[in-house]
Amino acid sequence: MSEKIIEKNKGLVKADFGFWVGLYMDKFYDTFEQKKIIGNKCQECGAVFVPPRNICGICNIKLPLDQNWIDVSDEGILINYTRTAYKVTDRRARKAKKLNDIGMVQLEGSDTAIVYPLIDFKEDDLKTGMKVKVKWKDNPTGGPSDIEGFIKG
Amino acid sequence: MDKVGIVGYNQVKCYSDANYGRYEMIFEAVRGAIDNAGLKKKDITTVISATNDYYDGRTISNCFTVEVGGGYMADESKVEMDGAHAMLYGLMRILSGNHKLAVIWGGSMPSCYPYHSARLYETDPTWERPNAYVNDITSSGFQMRAYMEKYGLSKEDIAKVAVKNKKNAAKNPLALEESQNPNISISDVLEAEIYADPVTELMVAPPCDSVAAVLLAPERQAVKITDKPVWITGVGWNQETYYLGERDLSQSTSMEHAAKAAYDMAGISNPRNDLDVAELFEVCAHEELIFTEALGLVEKGKGPQLNTEINGDFPINPSGGALGGNPPCATGLIRIIEAVKQIRGEAGQYQVGDVKRAVASGQIGMCAQNNILYVLEGEN
Repeated sequence: MSEKIIEKNKGLVKADFGFWVGLYMDKFYDTFEQKKIIGNKCQECGAVFVPPRNICGICNIKLPLDQNWIDVSDEGILINYTRTAYKVTDRRARKAKKLNDIGMVQLEGSDTAIVYPLIDFKEDDLKTGMKVKVKWKDNPTGGPSDIEGFIKG
Repeated sequence: MDKVGIVGYNQVKCYSDANYGRYEMIFEAVRGAIDNAGLKKKDITTVISATNDYYDGRTISNCFTVEVGGGYMADESKVEMDGAHAMLYGLMRILSGNHKLAVIWGGSMPSCYPYHSARLYETDPTWERPNAYVNDITSSGFQMRAYMEKYGLSKEDIAKVAVKNKKNAAKNPLALEESQNPNISISDVLEAEIYADPVTELMVAPPCDSVAAVLLAPERQAVKITDKPVWITGVGWNQETYYLGERDLSQSTSMEHAAKAAYDMAGISNPRNDLDVAELFEVCAHEELIFTEALGLVEKGKGPQLNTEINGDFPINPSGGALGGNPPCATGLIRIIEAVKQIRGEAGQYQVGDVKRAVASGQIGMCAQNNILYVLEGEN
């Protein structure tokens, strides 16, 4: 008895999503083109969000689109990190050639952390609490991959 | 809350690549639960399933499971979360007073798809998903580091949990064979392949194929169906924010809230004394310790100091837990079944003495964003 495996209908249907990022993220990504980062601040609790939010989840209120935008530094503190031998998109087949370092970084002036690769660090270099800064793509186009990752600050 | 009893259960053994079509597996789980309880198809009045469209490779995935899940011409619905959340829906259907027997089933077959890649689809499509740095494994790496660094714990402290659970799984005939290892050592765990440092392969609950089913009935029917009903005396559930960068990953605030709600309902003031055993859905070894603390069994940061072996001070996951096999959408339901087995004295080689009251948990989301906890009690 052979093992018959049916793969999904390859080529028959293509239904890719095109997510519009929304007004707040549009504004956020626009500033990436100037290699700048902005966040927005909750008018009630004062938390600064990067990326920006249209609501504050804790206060459960709408944050106005035309107010409380804050310029955030592209330098920050490494608050957590992990080293992985895999590509996140396919753990079974695609093992990375070398370990990838991925960090959670809290940018100066922000109250939240963002996740990006850590570039050119040796294992012994990595410490939570260390300063890091954004490595920008040479020609940013206004999208999440304009930030290539973080390098030593 | 009116008394609602668990009156039957069944679980298909965990396999890394099961020799089943998935509908056969669902049928075996559900029909087995019905047969074991001495019931018939016509007794089923409502069916609630837990599956996930991404894991099933089709939309509205329950439309194909109606017959095998016992839902033909019955009231039927689905929860796209953990099986433990499906039981919550089933519990509410029973409490509505309109139903005499609810079938709750959950499960999946990750042998058909790359599970950890599918978890990427949980992330924000306008921010994190395009770059693909966050999934269940990398977020677990963050969570373990946050927990260790906050309390100055070692990798060995975490590896001990994996050793305990894999040894316990060796006593559980339904656990995943690859997870059953009575001779595993701390160094085996630490030297296993790095998944997302400090998490190694042997610290991760292995995705596998299985389906589990539970039967619920109101008190009046429950005592007619079985002389060993297990009552749901408390339940609590709670959810944290989505973004990992907004959360304190060294603790589980949502589990603390879920536990408080469940304990209040069940009248539990001192969980360490009032409970006999816990079956917890841990995606990684360190998560069991975080939950142990969130449940108030020990102070924060002291999780590794509690002896949680089968014969220990407070047994946790005597069945091997999710580290003994993690069939997506079934794992929380299996924790409930394992707690029921302990209360009914049906846990065989991993039975924990005399169990009167147990807790069982389910979860969903990165780093256990959402947790649900049940308090279960025997006839006394």
